[in-house]
Amino acid sequence: MADNKNLQEAATAEKAAKKATAASDAKKLKTRKVRTVVGAVVFVGLSAGLIAGVSTGTMSGFGWETISMLCPLGALGTMIATKTMIPRAVVSLLIIAALVLLVGRAFCSWLCPTMLIDRIRDFFRSPKKRRQLAEAKNSEIKAISKQEIEALKAAKAGHACGACGKCAPKPHGKVDSRHAVLGGALLSTAVFGFPVFCLVCPVGLTFATVLLFWRAFAHGDATIGLILIPAMLIIELFVLRKWCSNFCPLSALMNLVSRFSRTFVPVIDDAKCLETAKEASCSRCAEVCEADINIRHPEFGLRTMADCTRCRDCIDVCPTKAITMPVFVGKKAGKTVVEIPEPIMDDDLRPSLD
Amino acid sequence: MADEKKVAAVEETAAAPDPASADVVADPTMENVDTAEAKRAGKGGITRRGLFIGVGSTVALMGLGALRYAGHNPLNHPPGGQDEAHLVSACIRCERCYEACPRQAIVPAKIEDGLLGMRAPMLDFNTGNYCDFCYEENGGTPKCVEVCPTCALELPADYQVGNPESGETGNVIIGLAEIDPRTCLAYRLTGCRDCYDACNYGAIELKDEGGANPIPYVVEDRCNGCGACQAVCLSLSSGSIKSTERAIVVRPIEA
Repeated sequence: MADNKNLQEAATAEKAAKKATAASDAKKLKTRKVRTVVGAVVFVGLSAGLIAGVSTGTMSGFGWETISMLCPLGALGTMIATKTMIPRAVVSLLIIAALVLLVGRAFCSWLCPTMLIDRIRDFFRSPKKRRQLAEAKNSEIKAISKQEIEALKAAKAGHACGACGKCAPKPHGKVDSRHAVLGGALLSTAVFGFPVFCLVCPVGLTFATVLLFWRAFAHGDATIGLILIPAMLIIELFVLRKWCSNFCPLSALMNLVSRFSRTFVPVIDDAKCLETAKEASCSRCAEVCEADINIRHPEFGLRTMADCTRCRDCIDVCPTKAITMPVFVGKKAGKTVVEIPEPIMDDDLRPSLD
Repeated sequence: MADEKKVAAVEETAAAPDPASADVVADPTMENVDTAEAKRAGKGGITRRGLFIGVGSTVALMGLGALRYAGHNPLNHPPGGQDEAHLVSACIRCERCYEACPRQAIVPAKIEDGLLGMRAPMLDFNTGNYCDFCYEENGGTPKCVEVCPTCALELPADYQVGNPESGETGNVIIGLAEIDPRTCLAYRLTGCRDCYDACNYGAIELKDEGGANPIPYVVEDRCNGCGACQAVCLSLSSGSIKSTERAIVVRPIEA
């Protein structure tokens, strides 16, 4: 029977997807390696500049001599705290807004030192622990994917429309916890008159750690900061879970602009995707996403495509190479709502009244 | 840390079945279906967890802001950073000034001197470096002020540079040098006059100059706190004096 054939096909495809899961990610995630190298080179370069006194600045104020690209949150904070317009801060904000509009939160996956810290942490995890973490995430995503496919099938069969996520109301609001942190940081800055978040910013703390350790070794300059500053970093990145998705006010600030980005957003070609073409549960793209986006079933990700960091991990792991990153995506980007092709069905399977 | 990780692991795997079963990835369990259902049922807007994080973080950040009232020890700041309230308001700890300083005299303030000013720029003359307002390197415009992207270091409109050649003091005063007679080698009749020789602005003079044991003293209205005297002071490295600081130290002027 044709139905059986369909099922078999789905089963084979699922097996292929599962095999892909089992296959070591390290081999497939080529861009992740490139990103780690890019991030490390930039970080080491800036750190060396900081130590050697080459005037390149850090990520809080990158530049040369009198030209500076300020951290957008620092720029906002310092202007709110001093209640003055600072030309360099305004220019930096505009440039960064333009960049974010072009490449979204790419900073987060390509340059942010917390990405490197995360990579180092991952390196020291036991394979067992890594597997556990992956399985915990994957089983939930797999469950969603299966449910969605069932719901879609049911909907296509002519009943139970509204059961799948596409028709259900979106659980995503326009703001999330990060925006609340951003609001809190700016409020505190306005009330107390100094850029409060700069004291605890993990990007700033990372460079501060480098400088402190250098001073401790080169000048014997010991301070409690040698313990306290790395401790703050560890609390933020390890104890507070998912700093980037749940807490980081910088990510919130970028999110406000990147939600309008229509360039370099990954899109799925439904003719190739296992889930739409073969009705097999795969969702590898959702499992691998570090920004907690479910690109296949956007309604069920913790975050939406507005938070895409252009890391290309989903593109690298897709078993059928169905995901691409076109230069311009038009209106559909950020929604990834795609038309489901009409299922191939035999006439005798079509619902009829008799 | 280990406990915390364990908790996290338990939380994350709470929904997952025994990892020993081979089909764990492919087979959704009832709990997972529940999670999916819950997500499906979720309404738009911020989640309860999100609200908790947001409120908690806001409270924490407001608490951090209250450090403003805790204050911190007065420190010697680079030129243009003398209005401490403004420096704290505008400095985002970007570390540009440390790099820009051609003499590497600018260092991050320590936590021990107060959390509020932590990592803000201060001048450390104990490393043997001092501040000449970049007279030699940049014609009297301090490079730290030039690069400061947030104008946290800002010179007064009527800035007059201290001129080490002519001995003019200038009108930006970093601090005031102070000699401790208990640790100063000259007071022990060693004839040491290194600080006197180092001062470019004539702010240190000698009692009994030309005598066997000249003793230095600070002329307060000629000192701009450049730190050259502190940078060369030998009292700590001479071996016999027990003290935590050098015999001549630049102290910030408290407003």
